[in-house]
Amino acid sequence: MRNKSITLSIVLVSIIVMIFCGAAFAKDSLIIYTSMKESLIGGIVEGFIVKYPDVAVDYQSAGAGKLMAKIAAERESGKILADIIWTSEVPDFYSMRKEGILEQYNTPLINEILNPFDDYDGHFTAARLGTLGIAINTDLIKTPPAQWSDLFKPEYKGAFGIADPALSGTSFMSVGMLEKQFGWEFFEKLHANQARIGKGSGQVVDDTASGELAASLAVDYITNDKITKGAHIALYYPPELLMAPSPIAIFKGSPNLEAAKKFVDYLLSHEAQVLIAGEGTLSVRTDVSNQEGFMLPEASEVLARAIKIDYIDMMGRKEELIKKFTDVLQGRK
Amino acid sequence: MNTVVQKSRFGVAQIILFLSISILVVVVAVPVLLILFNAFWVNGKFNLNDVIRIISEPDTWQALMNSLIIAAGTTVGSTIVGTFFAWLVTRTDLPYKGFMKGMFLVPFMLPSFIGAMAWKMLLSPRAGFINKFFMTYFGLSGPVFNIYSYAGIILVEIMYLFPFVFIQVCGALERMDPTLEESARISGAGLFTITRKITIPLVLPSILSGALLIMLYSMAHFGTVAVLGIENGIFNIPTLIYQRIHQSAGSFSSIRTGTVLATILVLTAAFILWLQGKILSRGHYQIIAGKSFRPMELKLRTLRMPLFIFCIAYIGFTIVLPTVVIFLVGGLKTYGLPFTWENLSLENYKFILFKYKVTRDAIWNSVTLGLSAAVITMFAGVMISYVIVKMKVRGKGILEFLGMLPFSVPGSVIALGVILAWSGKYGVNLYNTVWIILVAYIARYMAFSLRANSAALEQVHDSLMEAARVCGASMWQTLKDIVLPLVRPGMLASFFLIFLPSLRELTVSIMLYAPTTRTIGVAIYTLNEDGETVVSAALAGIALIIIVTGQLLVERFLGKKAHR
Repeated sequence: MRNKSITLSIVLVSIIVMIFCGAAFAKDSLIIYTSMKESLIGGIVEGFIVKYPDVAVDYQSAGAGKLMAKIAAERESGKILADIIWTSEVPDFYSMRKEGILEQYNTPLINEILNPFDDYDGHFTAARLGTLGIAINTDLIKTPPAQWSDLFKPEYKGAFGIADPALSGTSFMSVGMLEKQFGWEFFEKLHANQARIGKGSGQVVDDTASGELAASLAVDYITNDKITKGAHIALYYPPELLMAPSPIAIFKGSPNLEAAKKFVDYLLSHEAQVLIAGEGTLSVRTDVSNQEGFMLPEASEVLARAIKIDYIDMMGRKEELIKKFTDVLQGRK
Repeated sequence: MNTVVQKSRFGVAQIILFLSISILVVVVAVPVLLILFNAFWVNGKFNLNDVIRIISEPDTWQALMNSLIIAAGTTVGSTIVGTFFAWLVTRTDLPYKGFMKGMFLVPFMLPSFIGAMAWKMLLSPRAGFINKFFMTYFGLSGPVFNIYSYAGIILVEIMYLFPFVFIQVCGALERMDPTLEESARISGAGLFTITRKITIPLVLPSILSGALLIMLYSMAHFGTVAVLGIENGIFNIPTLIYQRIHQSAGSFSSIRTGTVLATILVLTAAFILWLQGKILSRGHYQIIAGKSFRPMELKLRTLRMPLFIFCIAYIGFTIVLPTVVIFLVGGLKTYGLPFTWENLSLENYKFILFKYKVTRDAIWNSVTLGLSAAVITMFAGVMISYVIVKMKVRGKGILEFLGMLPFSVPGSVIALGVILAWSGKYGVNLYNTVWIILVAYIARYMAFSLRANSAALEQVHDSLMEAARVCGASMWQTLKDIVLPLVRPGMLASFFLIFLPSLRELTVSIMLYAPTTRTIGVAIYTLNEDGETVVSAALAGIALIIIVTGQLLVERFLGKKAHR
C-alpha cells in the first residue's frame, strides 16, 4: 500500500514536471487573431504549416468585436499577444493604422489581387471579398427574397435575425451599408416586422438552419459550409449588394515579423486563395474564379454592385451606429 | 502538543506554518484583497459614493436583481424537489429505491451548462425539438415552453442543483432515530402530527443547510445563465462580470464594475455561510442518533405505482433525455437536419478527437490543468489542514481565517482577482498563459482539499502522534510514518474531488483563456456561441463520457467511505 502510493506520487510529480517543461520549451509561434470561422482558417493554416514546417502557428477564431476588445486589453497590459489580425471589420483597420500599431508591409503580390482600398499603403491588405446576403430556411420560406424590402413581408415576422454588430464585424459593416443605402427607416420597418438581434454571425446561420429563425443576414462561406453539409438553407443576394473585404495586417513590434510576412504572402497566393474560393466565398485574386456549385456573384460584379461606403467616416461613428441600431431594433427611441 | 519543546526558533512547525500562510496569501488572499481595494478605492481614496453609483446603474442593478430572482427561484424549487425525493427514497416503500437514489445523484456529475445546451435544443421557442413536435403534430401556434426565460433558467438550475438538498435530507432521514416517531405514535399522535412535530423539526436543519448551499451556488452560477440568458438580455452577476471584462476592452471602468459586483458576491456568500453555520450549530435540532436503525416505511399503497412512474418519468425527462439529445445532435452533419440514419454519423466525434486542433488542445489542457491543480492542491491542502487541525503554534488564527476564504469566494471572483493580481501590474505577468488558469484553479479548489483533509485529520487522534514523539521520533518522522499514511484516503479523495470537477470547469477558465489555453468547458461554450452547435454537442458528449467514466472509476476504487 505504501509503495503503491509512493509510486503514485512519483508518477504524478513527473507528469507535472513534464507539463512544466513542455510549457517552458514550447516553440515561439505565430499567433493569428481572426474572425474567420474554423472551416476557412483551419485549412489555410494547415496549408501554411505544410509549406513552412519550421513555423508554428496558433490562431484564435472569434467575432471581430471580441478580438478588438481582447487586443485593447492586451495593449493596456503592455503587449499585444497576436502577430496578425484578419477580420472583416474594415473601420477597425483604419483606426489601428491611425493609432500606429500596424506594421507596414507592401506585399509583392499586390499587383495580382483586386484591391478594394483606394488608399492602400501596405498597412493592411484585403485577403478575401466577403459578401452577405439573405439566408433562408428552405422549409419555412418558399419564395426566395429578391429585394431587401421582402424582409418586411409577413413570412419573416419575428423570424429574421441580424448578428449583433457589437460582436460581429460583418454585421457591423452591413448595418453601416444598409443604413447608408436605405436610411434608418429600413431598420424601423424591420423592427415593425419583429426582426431579432442574434449573437455572432455563425449563430444566426445555425439558427436559420435549425428553424429558430426563418431567415438571417448571413455571411457567404458560413452559409455555404452548412449548405454543403446538407442544411436546408439557401443564400440570396438582393440587387444592392453587401460586400465586406477582409483585410489582414501585421502588428508593429511582432517578434515573428518574417513569419508573419510569409503568412500574409501565403494567404494571397494562388494556393491559399483557391482554398478560400473552395469554402464558398470570393477570392481577391484575378486568376481564381468562384468554385462551381455555390450561388455566388462574380468578384468583378460584386465590386460594381456593392453599396459604397466611407470606411473612415464609419470608424468615427462605430459606437453611435451600434447604439442606434440596437435602440431601433429593440423599439427604444 | 503543547508540551512539545521546539528545539530552535525555526523548526519544522514554523516552516510549515510559514509555507501554509504564504500559499493562502498568494493564491487566495491577494486576489480577493485586490478586488476589494479596486472596488472601494478610487484614485487612492476611499470612495463609497462611487460604489453606490455603480450599483445603481440600470444594467448592474438589473443583474443584481436577476441573480436574486434566479437564486430564490432555484432555491425554493430545488428544496421542494430534493426534500420530496429524499423522503420518497428513504421513508416509503417505493420500488427500486437504491437504484432511484443513485439516479437522483447523477445530476451532480453533469455540468449544468451542458444541460442548459441540451434544453436549449429541446425547448428553444421555434426550433426546440419538443416545441416543434407540439407545433407540428398538435397544431399549436406558439411554443409549449420558452426556455429563454427566467422560468427556463430556474427550471434547468433546479434539475442540476437539487441533489445538494437531496443528499443532505437523505442523510438526515436515514440517521434519524425512528424510536422518536414510534413513541409519538404510541402516544396516539397521527401521521400529520408526527410529521409536523417530530420529523420536520428533525430534518429542518439539513433542509435549510442544503437550501443555503444551493442559494450560494446559484447566486454565483455562470453556465446556465450564460447559455440561456445572455442572448435574451438576462444577465446575472457572473455573466455581467464576464461580459464587461471580455467585451469592453478591459477598460478601467469595466474592471471597476466587475470588482464591485464581485464584492457583492463575496459578501452574499459570506453571509450565507454564516447563516448556515448558525443553523447547523443550533444544538437542539440535532437529536439524530448515530446508530443506524431501519426507519419505518410508509406504505404508499395505491400511490405506489403512480409515484414510481413519476420518478422514472422525472429521471427520464431530466437526465436521460438531455443526454441522449446531446449525443444525437453531436452526430448530426449539421444542425437543423432531422434525426435519420443518413444524417447521423461519427464524423464530428472523429473530427474533434483527431483533427480539430482547438478541441484536442482543450482536452489536453483540461486534463493537465486538472492533474496539476489536483496534485498541488492536495499536498498544499493536507499541509494547511494539518496546521489548522493539529498544530498549536502562534499565528494559527490567521491561517484559520485564511482557510475560510476559499469557501466563500465564487469562481468568477477568483478569476477577476487573478487577472488583477497576475497581469503584470505587480511584476508577474501570467495573463494569456496556462499558468494563470492553474493559479485560479488552485485558489478555487483549495476549499475542497481543505475540507477533505481536515475531516481525515480530525479522525487521527493526537495520542498517536504524541506516542511517536515520546518514542523519540522527530516531527518529520511522525508526519511521514504516522500522519500521512492515516490521512491518505482523505488526500486521495481531495485529489479526485478536484480533478473531476476541473475537467468540466467553465466559470473561471472562460475569463482567463487565450488562443491556446482553452479548456473543455471553454471550447464547448465558445463553439456553441459561434454557431457550431453540432461540433460543440459532440465535444460535450465526449466530455460527459470522460467525466462519468472518471466518476465511476473513483467510486469503484475508493469505495463510498473515502469518497464522501
